[in-house]
Amino acid sequence: MDVKSAITRARRGLREERRLYIVAVTSLAVAFLCLGATLLGVTNLDAAATRWGQSGRITLFLKDDADPQDIAQLRVVLEGLADVSNVTHVTPDEARASFLEEADVGADLSSLPPEVFPASLEVTLVRGVTRERSESIASRLAQFRAVSDVESYRSWFQKLDHLLWGARMLAVGLAVLVVFCVVAVIGNTIRLAVARRRQEIEVMKLCGATNGFVRGPFVLEGMFQGFASALLAVLALLAGYLSLHESVDGTLAALTGSRVVFLSVWTLVALLAGGALIGAIGSAMSVRRYLSV
Amino acid sequence: MQGTKVVRPFPFFRAGARASQPQLAKPILVLEDVYKFFRPDQPTLRGVNLSVERGEFAFITGPSGAGKSTLLKLIYRELGVDEGRVLFCGRDIARLTDKSIPFLRRNLGIVFQDFRIIDHWTAYENVAVALEILSMPQRLVRSRVAEALERVGLAGRGAERTSNLSGGEKQRVAVARAIVPEPALILADEPTGNLDPHLAIDILTLFEEINTTGTTVLFATHDHSLISKRDHRLISIDEGRVVEAQHGLKQWPGSGIHTLVG
Repeated sequence: MDVKSAITRARRGLREERRLYIVAVTSLAVAFLCLGATLLGVTNLDAAATRWGQSGRITLFLKDDADPQDIAQLRVVLEGLADVSNVTHVTPDEARASFLEEADVGADLSSLPPEVFPASLEVTLVRGVTRERSESIASRLAQFRAVSDVESYRSWFQKLDHLLWGARMLAVGLAVLVVFCVVAVIGNTIRLAVARRRQEIEVMKLCGATNGFVRGPFVLEGMFQGFASALLAVLALLAGYLSLHESVDGTLAALTGSRVVFLSVWTLVALLAGGALIGAIGSAMSVRRYLSV
Repeated sequence: MQGTKVVRPFPFFRAGARASQPQLAKPILVLEDVYKFFRPDQPTLRGVNLSVERGEFAFITGPSGAGKSTLLKLIYRELGVDEGRVLFCGRDIARLTDKSIPFLRRNLGIVFQDFRIIDHWTAYENVAVALEILSMPQRLVRSRVAEALERVGLAGRGAERTSNLSGGEKQRVAVARAIVPEPALILADEPTGNLDPHLAIDILTLFEEINTTGTTVLFATHDHSLISKRDHRLISIDEGRVVEAQHGLKQWPGSGIHTLVG
């Protein structure tokens, strides 16, 4: 196939069928926008999970009758670990005060019994410690005599993992749906274009055009539609991100400690290239049946 | 570079090109005992035997529905034969695979009654498409198209949209498209059917001029006024069988033109 000739003919096709293609591109851009928005959600959830996972914490609840010497020894062990950045001893009174200050449930909680607020050691891990490493440290610390219980926030992370898994599945489902949409819409658009240009195809075939020569411009047109739709969606998403991230950032930082991030360069490239590729495939599939002239 | 490569699979097919002596000595087209059925009990062509020499001009005639178009379609392989052989430059084109058919058609120029040109294209674009298929460089396409348009009497009108041209001019554009790749054989299927008698003679003369350069022409028509004006070879198809006269109606057996056109 002569690529230059195919490009010239595809440009002519795009010019002649521009109204049809504008409708198709805008419809597909909505589909890509849904996919892009979901990917943006997954990216941000992922970023938050990574951040929380890396700024790990372990709480060691101490026995009521723990020997102060054992606690001091435990502190020395903890401070000697390379993965630990800070250790704070929280007394039952401090725990109660802190809880009453943070909890705002509209009920009188001052009468809660003392055993609800055991003494603890709040261990802050250095950044970058993996969740597995954090679990391993927690299980080793549970062996100490002064420790009654260890909270490594595992169940909380599991919940977050489930949430992330759900979001990722949603993104995969949407991606599959978008692929079907793109193939169907571009396929039908190209089918309409082929029907309108049937005489051209017939003339070309009678002059000795190969199937590749006839198919070339249609595939390029489909590729362009897919790419343009994805690009339009990415630009809309970027515009939305730029206009909203200032106001959302502060709230999110206060809630989760992380800021809003945009899609990575690779995700953007995958969206654009994927759009072009699916467009080309949809187009090639729909034009195949019209080649037997 | 593929962009400048000219795809010409059978160079010896080209009119006046480097064909070897043995190839030149062979007829350009031979039909051997060709049958074509559209209904099992009623063949459209029955046992057609025909030989066309290189550089010949022949009318194919017969009443409507006699099988003229079917015969031409077998040659440009829109249809396949059911029995027999169709030899083009010694090759059995009935056996060509679907992928080879475009390369056969690059050696043929085909003109139809309904012109089959693209109305929203210019005359230039309509003619150039036959060369773009060959991946010919644009510079060469421009000069060859201009030359072809000049040959059909449309010099300097390449930029005009064909929708603005008259019927006769549209057919000239179609003829220019057929001749521009310099095919070995031109198949004209009722090319004057939509034209008035005066224009029909003009178009016939145009085909005769093309024939003088060595291109073989098969001109299908049922217009007896055209046939009677020329002494070309006559190939008449009636009820699927071929009857021939080498020098027009003068040699026609039986009662003249009426037996030809029904």
